[in-house]
Amino acid sequence: MATDNANANGFGEVSRVRGIVFEYLSLGASVFGLVALGVLLVYVAIDAFDLANASPEWLLTYFLTLVVPFLAFCLYSASDPTVTRRALGALGGGLVAVAALFTAIEALVVPIPRLNWQLAYLFVVAAPVTAYLAYVGSGGRVGAVGFGLLGRLVGGAAVGLAVGTLFLVFDPLLWFLAYTLGVLPAVGLYAFGRRRSTPRARTAAAPVGLGGLVAAVFLREVIPTYPSDLIIYLWTVAVPVAVAGALLVADRRGRVAAAAVGGVPLAAATAGGFLAPGAGLPSPTVLLVLVSIGVPTAVYVSRVVDAGEGLAGLGLPLLLAAGAVLGALIVGALGFPAPDPWLDGSFLTAAPSRTPSDAGLYPAIVGSVIIIALVAVLSFALGVGTSVFLEEYTPGTGPLGTLTRILQVNIANLAAVPSVVYGLLGLGLFANLLGLGIGTAVTAALTLSLLILPITIISAQEAIRSVPDDLRRGSDAMGATRWQTTKNVVLPEAMPGILTGTILALGRAIGETAPLIMIGAATTVFRAPDSLFSRFSAMPMQIYTWAGFPQADFRYGVVAAGVITLLLILVGMNGTAILLRNRAERGS
Amino acid sequence: MTDSTESPDLSRRGGLTRLKEGTYGGLFAACAAITLLTTAAIFVTLLSDAVVFFRSISVAEFLTGTNWSPNPAGGGQAFGIIPLLIGTITVTITAAFISIPIGTLTAIYLSEYATPNARSILKPLLEILAGIPTVVYGYFALVYVTPALKATLFPEMSTFNALSASIMVGIMTIPMVSSISEDAMSAVPDELRQAGYGLGATKFEVSTGIVVPASISGIASSYILAVSRAIGETMIVVVAMGAQARMPAVREALFGIPFVNPADVLLESGMTITVAMVQITGGDLTGGTLPYNSMFALGLALFAVTLVMNVISDIIAQRYREEY
Repeated sequence: MATDNANANGFGEVSRVRGIVFEYLSLGASVFGLVALGVLLVYVAIDAFDLANASPEWLLTYFLTLVVPFLAFCLYSASDPTVTRRALGALGGGLVAVAALFTAIEALVVPIPRLNWQLAYLFVVAAPVTAYLAYVGSGGRVGAVGFGLLGRLVGGAAVGLAVGTLFLVFDPLLWFLAYTLGVLPAVGLYAFGRRRSTPRARTAAAPVGLGGLVAAVFLREVIPTYPSDLIIYLWTVAVPVAVAGALLVADRRGRVAAAAVGGVPLAAATAGGFLAPGAGLPSPTVLLVLVSIGVPTAVYVSRVVDAGEGLAGLGLPLLLAAGAVLGALIVGALGFPAPDPWLDGSFLTAAPSRTPSDAGLYPAIVGSVIIIALVAVLSFALGVGTSVFLEEYTPGTGPLGTLTRILQVNIANLAAVPSVVYGLLGLGLFANLLGLGIGTAVTAALTLSLLILPITIISAQEAIRSVPDDLRRGSDAMGATRWQTTKNVVLPEAMPGILTGTILALGRAIGETAPLIMIGAATTVFRAPDSLFSRFSAMPMQIYTWAGFPQADFRYGVVAAGVITLLLILVGMNGTAILLRNRAERGS
Repeated sequence: MTDSTESPDLSRRGGLTRLKEGTYGGLFAACAAITLLTTAAIFVTLLSDAVVFFRSISVAEFLTGTNWSPNPAGGGQAFGIIPLLIGTITVTITAAFISIPIGTLTAIYLSEYATPNARSILKPLLEILAGIPTVVYGYFALVYVTPALKATLFPEMSTFNALSASIMVGIMTIPMVSSISEDAMSAVPDELRQAGYGLGATKFEVSTGIVVPASISGIASSYILAVSRAIGETMIVVVAMGAQARMPAVREALFGIPFVNPADVLLESGMTITVAMVQITGGDLTGGTLPYNSMFALGLALFAVTLVMNVISDIIAQRYREEY
């Protein structure tokens, strides 16, 4: 080696070529999978939004009215000349480079189907620059406020829609009685007990609540008349959410602000609920969505105004909305040929169909939301219970220690069992032996819960393990029992980590298809399921069915739209999980 | 927590508190017991129906039969697992050709070459590859990869084929190889690297000559896990590989040596064990029929193979791990 080719001054020389080649080879390998996935995602997006038929004028208009103001907002928030220079350089240089390279490849090598240099620029340069600037911009106060507000708007809408979907299967009348007789008195007693520190009222809360629930089940068949759905949702969901929002603000900002934070969204939602039938929309859903958007937004705005920093960020949603409207006006006035996207409002609200242009995902989305809600409850409860048992209740040695080790090995092995085998378990055990029905939502939810249980347990264990032992010792020293330590110290500390792990596991569950096929989930249903025991479909199931259709409009249009919908939901869930984790890390 | 039971009960709280403590402990233990019950339930469910199946079809016939047609139109059911095994092995090996070299190189790059900044960006991005729903990968393979391969490299390729399915399975399993291997490589103590540099080795020599051999047990166990994942993969192959249980044509070479042309297997449709199971669900699902029971026999085979591979990977990781 080095000594073999030692030269006159005694120092060796080695060839660097091999090392450099190897370094770049491994770098290339690291990004190979990502690049491949990125290219495929670009094609799926182009197909779903029909961007191949978008005219350059159309693209330019929306680029100028929507993307450029957003980039300017991010640059303003970052207020860093280096970033500005770098971003402008990348956008400008990228334009020339992509156009030249793309034209050269098309002319010399091979024509690239369904892609032109404008789209290539959009995906290769504009999208990464936008993502980078959004990341940098969110570091500034203005950007953080803007993205926070945007997140609450989008997240609120998603939560409202999901809750509205759940009421499709769960009986709203029963919920009305249960809430009025059970939940409300119990919460009232508990709050009273906390405030006046009378333990007796707090202990009474649980029996009173249970008694109310039992009474509700009993009275459900007896009472003949009920208020309308809108009143029920107003009373059982909108009012409590508004009160909770008001209470959050009341401590710091006084009664007037609290009344505004609670009252304004509530009034807007109520008005929206009553006016919705006129616009042909289901009024309970409108009410729920407006409440779940309005109250968190109002709380957030009041908090930002209180802090008095980054107020300009509150204009971000307006900026984007104005850009979209302006773009639409310009495109309409000048008559630019616009694409006809597969993924649009009617795709999300229509039932599946044999004709590609009418096909929609609505029943499958409802099915997925219901299953995921059940899986979330089941796997969270089981996962937390098991991980608390393994981490807090069992010693490391002795016969119980052996049991713990067996459980650990078992959980690790369960995590590696193929999902199709879980499907067989669901078919043999839940559907046929226990008689829960082939292809029902309950069977699917139980099967998927068992499927993601190992992942939930492992991540919850990690979260619990990361709670410092000093906290437990402190609690023990104050005379707390094991359950009190777990409840008051360990679980609150570990909760962000547990939630992050659970949401990531739910992301796995929402995309699983093989177990659903095995338990006989319907390939296509035309109506949204109306009970937990009705046949249902789910988003991945519907994608699988459509992918088997031979027509090009299905393959390159409808399925692409379904794939993008599924991936967007996944991105939303995982983004929430990552935000939770980051916030918890910053907090500790 | 381990010794808090021995501490004196200073508060002398009586029955109710103790009852509450016991109830919660029991609840958590019940949750933990569910994981054990799940394993037991998988065993029992698979075995009970598989046993019924093996009463009609002997194990030898199942393991050596070269024809798989559980629901033939004209009659004459046949349950031979060999064509399914060929499909599964084809997909697994082809996928391993992609995931193992790329995953290993990725792990070396992440652990040895990447700056901390690049690593913090690349690692979560690579996890995305494992997080994409497999049905989406299957759709990619069918709608984008197959036409692209057909237009460029293999014009004679059929619409459903093993190659594009295998490529996607390979890409999906890259993060399994890379993350576990990278953990193993990062666990190699820095002293070994410094000693290598001290002897005049280059970075390349340290990476390939010191770090990789020192972490070989972790790397090997990551390979086994990735292969086991590829064996159990369902949706990619169901969507992109088609469903034809075939024995590949055996050709005669120059000196009368029989061989199988890889193109016959890779560019044509085929059937894996998992595809066969999904195929049967198209029929009767209430139970009692021979195809229904054969599904559980296949599931048992799949479960056994993946379980054995996981145990082997565990043993390799435990036994051959270098303790530093």
